[in-house]
Amino acid sequence: MPHLAVNAIHAKYGKLPVLHGIDFAVDRGEVVSLVGPSGSGKSTVLRALVGLTPVTAGSIEVDGTCIDYAAPRAVRAARDRMAIVFQQYNLFQNMTVLRNVTLAPTKVKGRARAEVEEEAMRLLKLVGMDHKATAYPDELSGGQQQRVAIARALALKPEILLLDEVTSALDPELVNEVLDAIRSLAAEGMTMLLVSHEMAFVREVSSKVIFMDAGQVVETGDPAAIFDAPSSERARDFFGKVLR
Amino acid sequence: MDYNFQFNVVWRNFDALLSGAWLTLQLGVFAFSAGCLIGLVGAACLSFAPRPLRWLVQAFVIFITNTPALIQIYFLYFGLPEFGIRWSNEACVLIGLTLNAGAYLTMILRAGFLSVRANEMEAGETMGLSLPQRIRYIVVPHIAKSIYPALANFFIVILVMGTSVGAVIGVDELTGQAINLSTVNYRWLEYFTVAALMYVVLTFIASIGLALLGRWAFRVKARIF
Repeated sequence: MPHLAVNAIHAKYGKLPVLHGIDFAVDRGEVVSLVGPSGSGKSTVLRALVGLTPVTAGSIEVDGTCIDYAAPRAVRAARDRMAIVFQQYNLFQNMTVLRNVTLAPTKVKGRARAEVEEEAMRLLKLVGMDHKATAYPDELSGGQQQRVAIARALALKPEILLLDEVTSALDPELVNEVLDAIRSLAAEGMTMLLVSHEMAFVREVSSKVIFMDAGQVVETGDPAAIFDAPSSERARDFFGKVLR
Repeated sequence: MDYNFQFNVVWRNFDALLSGAWLTLQLGVFAFSAGCLIGLVGAACLSFAPRPLRWLVQAFVIFITNTPALIQIYFLYFGLPEFGIRWSNEACVLIGLTLNAGAYLTMILRAGFLSVRANEMEAGETMGLSLPQRIRYIVVPHIAKSIYPALANFFIVILVMGTSVGAVIGVDELTGQAINLSTVNYRWLEYFTVAALMYVVLTFIASIGLALLGRWAFRVKARIF
């Protein structure tokens, strides 16, 4: 049974339909990447998974259990199991790095502050940000903020980590520090679904790549097959332009 | 100008002026604090509540901000007794000023709600924070920081212009006391000069206090002078 199964989902962004029946599955411990041109609906898939964009048809299953996004309790349960990291980091600007990481575990899960802080420091160390625990987000570089955002997502103890173009807003020099953090998570066996334009990285960490265009899955395959020998015309055209 | 200033009468009754200033400060602080709570609820309703509730808040704001505070307080003091509700003059001023501040602060705080970065709210939502929790941990600190100058400014307005309305219905705050005292010996100019200076001192103290509070509590880079 796949860890995460997405079955023919449709979604609208306002009135504009953006997903037209997306199907894919992610196995436990697998890293799956969504790639494709801007506006193809990759980020919308992730937003739909965490209940930010409503799904108008189709179903999403975690561990074989279908999530009813109309029920607030089910949405909470889904968010309990999946954490998302955003392109723009979305850190809470009025809180220190440490507080950003500890807020949800203490306020949502009601865990003891001392225990959560200890764990938060461990996570910050994992992403190499423990020395900035008392800093505020506006005192950090983009790469540092994004690493804090990853630690913050991990503090929720998600089973599945969703990464939405986490390096797109970063200076080229800062991209690697974030990719290193993701690499080590992949090595630990975290189930991950990532949207990325870092094709070399996608190829390196993914066990499966899903190519999307215009709200549909065009092609799915292992990285080598999809990058080197795409079977569809659209994928050939896309990779021909970005892999040069 | 032939006027012969005689301040000794003022100093003899300075205690009364001081007690007036103290009452002014109390009225100002209380009306502002309670007004902030009303404003916070009002702004939250305007931003997140369903339509009927939003209309109700809008009606409240429109009614209060488009009528003079003096008339509102008159209604409380002279109007309500007709319906069997009798409040002391101090209570009327306090309640009137609080409602008045609440309406203005609803609009001031709403600007703060609008300027919250939507992506922080989304992050909070996906992390499982409820709407009240998001307001408490994301919106309020953001508002406090981003519109702190407007809030501090409005506090001064309440403190000086708001509270002095009380004099009209016999509340012995600073202006009221100055009027009381000067009707005894007609030293209007002396009493009002001193009262004006006391207002300046009061607002000065309040400004410093607010700037320190802002720096300490909300990381506002407020200049003190």
